[in-house]
Amino acid sequence: VALSKVFGSLRKELHDTLSTCKVLVVGAGGIGCELLKNLVLTGFKNIEVIDLDTIDVSNLNRQFLFQKKHVGKSKAQVAKESVLQFCPTVNITAYHDSIMNPDYNVEFFRNFMLVMNALDNRAARNHVNRMCLAADIPLIESGTAGYLGQVTVIKKGLTECYECQPKPTQKTFPGCTIRNTPSEPIHCIVWAKYLFNQLFGEEDADQEVSPDTADPEAAWNPEDTAARATASENDGDIKRVSTKDWARSTGYDAVKLFHKLFKDDIMYLLTMDKLWKTRKAPTPLVWQQLEDSASPQELSAGSGLKDQQVLGVWGLCQLFQHSVETLRSQLQEMGEGAELVWDKDDPPAMDFVTAAANLRMHIFSMNTKSRFDVKSMAGNIIPAIATTNAVIAGLIVLEGLKILSGELESCRTIFLNKCPNLRKKLLVPCILDPPIANCYVCASKPEVMVKLNVHKTTVLSLQDRILKERFGMVAPDVQIEDGKGTILISSEEGETETNNSKFLADFGIRNGSRLQVDDFLQDYTLLVNVLHTEELERDVEFEVVGEAPDKAPSPQTTPEEVNSVTNGNKDSAQPSTSSKAEDDDIMIVDSEEENEGASSSTAAATSGTKRKHSDAETGETSTKRPRTDQSSAAAAPTDDDDDDDIITLD
Amino acid sequence: MPGKETFGESEEEAAQYDRQIRLWGLDAQKRLRGSRVLLAGLGGLGAEVAKNLILAGVKGLTLLDHEKVSEESCRAQFLVPVTARGQNRAQASLERGQNLNPMVKVLADQDRVEDKPDDFFLQFDAVCLTGCSRDLMVRVDQLCSKHNIKVFCGDVYGYYGYMFCNLGKEHNYVEEKPKLVKPTGNDGPEAKKAKVDPNETTMVKKTASFCPLKEALEVDWTTEKAKAGMKKTPVDYFMLHVLLKFRTDKGRDPDPQSYPEDSRLLRQIRDDVLEALEVSADLLNDDFISYCFSEMSPVCAVVGGVLGQEVVKALSQRDPPHRNFFFFDGRKGNGVVDYFGPN
Repeated sequence: VALSKVFGSLRKELHDTLSTCKVLVVGAGGIGCELLKNLVLTGFKNIEVIDLDTIDVSNLNRQFLFQKKHVGKSKAQVAKESVLQFCPTVNITAYHDSIMNPDYNVEFFRNFMLVMNALDNRAARNHVNRMCLAADIPLIESGTAGYLGQVTVIKKGLTECYECQPKPTQKTFPGCTIRNTPSEPIHCIVWAKYLFNQLFGEEDADQEVSPDTADPEAAWNPEDTAARATASENDGDIKRVSTKDWARSTGYDAVKLFHKLFKDDIMYLLTMDKLWKTRKAPTPLVWQQLEDSASPQELSAGSGLKDQQVLGVWGLCQLFQHSVETLRSQLQEMGEGAELVWDKDDPPAMDFVTAAANLRMHIFSMNTKSRFDVKSMAGNIIPAIATTNAVIAGLIVLEGLKILSGELESCRTIFLNKCPNLRKKLLVPCILDPPIANCYVCASKPEVMVKLNVHKTTVLSLQDRILKERFGMVAPDVQIEDGKGTILISSEEGETETNNSKFLADFGIRNGSRLQVDDFLQDYTLLVNVLHTEELERDVEFEVVGEAPDKAPSPQTTPEEVNSVTNGNKDSAQPSTSSKAEDDDIMIVDSEEENEGASSSTAAATSGTKRKHSDAETGETSTKRPRTDQSSAAAAPTDDDDDDDIITLD
Repeated sequence: MPGKETFGESEEEAAQYDRQIRLWGLDAQKRLRGSRVLLAGLGGLGAEVAKNLILAGVKGLTLLDHEKVSEESCRAQFLVPVTARGQNRAQASLERGQNLNPMVKVLADQDRVEDKPDDFFLQFDAVCLTGCSRDLMVRVDQLCSKHNIKVFCGDVYGYYGYMFCNLGKEHNYVEEKPKLVKPTGNDGPEAKKAKVDPNETTMVKKTASFCPLKEALEVDWTTEKAKAGMKKTPVDYFMLHVLLKFRTDKGRDPDPQSYPEDSRLLRQIRDDVLEALEVSADLLNDDFISYCFSEMSPVCAVVGGVLGQEVVKALSQRDPPHRNFFFFDGRKGNGVVDYFGPN
């Protein structure tokens, strides 16, 4: 056996491959920095790295290739420079760009022997998955969140692709929960973000904050609901005037706003008495009363972060007033028609949501939350540390070495747990599963069936919500299989824009119609079968047949339900029911936080089938046992709850 | 409104450590901020541990290494600049190490570990030894645990690596557990039966007990109990014995430049060790031999990540520590935690 003199345990052949092959790293953040370092030290000589992001101070606790002086600069660029510091001989190309840019086409991907994802969002992962399938290049996928992480290998025809198993899509809470009957802090936080948009940002019909008179729960009988709905159409104050217009008419007067939102609207809710039959009723707030009864501001003595204090009600009122005034001025400065975009790192925006959400929590008898906690939930922040990323990046390279040695059959999915499982394993390797036969991405002729209402779904909705968001396409072209090949959507700008606001039915699309959807960049064709229905659940616009309807989690979501691979804060990896990110069984394949302008709702129950994972060593298959509710764990005297074996990829 | 420097945590620290404070809490971060750590050995594994501890925000980290930067060192770790050939390894790692986090006091010390007087170690809250001989590790472990200093050891040999820790006879820590709500819980207007309150947690105090390294390495395999447990025992433990013996006998680790002789020696030592421990000769076959040369970077990253996190946990006294060995097999992707020592 000839060992490489310099690279120790690597066989010479492998070492030679490393010196000549080209690899692509997608992402230069938490995993990316660690990965670049490992690749270079292992002997990879030709590396390309791409990242669209710039460096933020909150990255510095783990993205070690960056220093304070680099804040604001391109991650890919600075990563490259830092790597060259300790290895000047490596060939490394940095792209400050989005991997979804059409410049990075199949040809581009074919340059590489190996692609490694170090991403933080589902859309990009889906996209790279398809590009690697199209180019037939092995892909190593990975993710981390808190103490947990995982790595897996994707090879066309041999393994499941990234999209073979359905993953939970971003969930929104039912409108009536947000507007009428919040039961958890997260509902109030989502409401506050909606409110921000209604007042200062882009108004969205799906982000109503006023009481929902058409709430089916409010009606004593079904006819009632319809009656209430029409009644509210005529009731000028509640529905007719948009929240923004109303606010404008009062000059964004904070106290008037306060009374509308936290007194008048609450009093209206109280008239919907059926809602409060089994629930604790909300209590309206009166500004003057609160001012009069305010105790001198007690700052929690000693040791906390300023952000971790919990404000009293009067403190919240003041915060509300102050932030409204600041945001009002910001808006005024920007001029006519201006809109603010919510950003967790913008102090008044964050103050506003903190205040509004907490006031609402107070009204609905919930324990209020510190700004620190609100920021976590509102901003979808996933806690992150260096060590988890270091471990995962190490595993990525080890899988990469197997691939480049032609040992694909020895590749594994590896899970990093917080605590060892019953078999003492902290790192759990599992045999890779073969592709799913009817996967809507990697099957030879992918096909799906989608339930929707052809009279209510617009072409634009089809494009954005269904094809792009749900089916991960970047630039879809849609043809109707009507014998005429009618083009419904063209990816070329301007060509089919006039179709956008029309309904699908307007084009003769009905039950049983088939749409051929192509994304040429991804070299991907999907046949969409349309199933017309008038009976979709409330707030649900479409359903992919073969999957359970998207549901917001029940308040006591079991870890089993949350136990799925969720990707990216855009998709809200954070469970609605926990302000702390991690739980041993949650496989969240992500790091990095992001501001999603709209709802910050969270991943939820997934239908996904339970996977059987073979333990690599014993060849056993272990179905994941649902982790029982913590209540039973707490009941056991000397328990250690974390007894589960393998974490399923759902 | 309170001033910027509030309650002891500066805004700078809060901003930089935000993502980890959200994970392990402010208390833990403060304990880290008050801890001083000694790290011996700045090879591949040492550099990883250094990076992890510096980023975590300990008070001080002393890099102790008497070795000089060699041709291989430049490629083995990322703290040493390529121009530093011939310099002391700790000294050469200092600048890039310090730049990882200016808030940590990083020091370089060029002495040999064995030459340090006993009281040198007493200034630290935790000591982490890499690249040290078995006897040295045993001695330092004995000394440190007498003074309640947390001890960690770790090494990487090719595709294999391990970490050991001794946190003392009584290591106290807290574990965060979900709180149980009573039916009239105030985190929701709906009346529900007693369940887990997902929004509130509680800190539970716990204790774990550790044994000295000497006892961990000198397990008696001839007892009935030991023999019964053999099936579940990771063979990595025995591999570790072989590699530590090699290090003791040759004063170095297996070197690819001397592959033929070193692999012969490894085979011999394997036979001797298994015989001396009175365990089956079949326990450890030849496979490991060609894969245990030279520190592999990705393996250093994995072991260094786990080891680094264990140090963080121990210093912050939060979350159950791994007790007391972690073994990583980079060929299989297996990482196991197991306890060796008297019960």
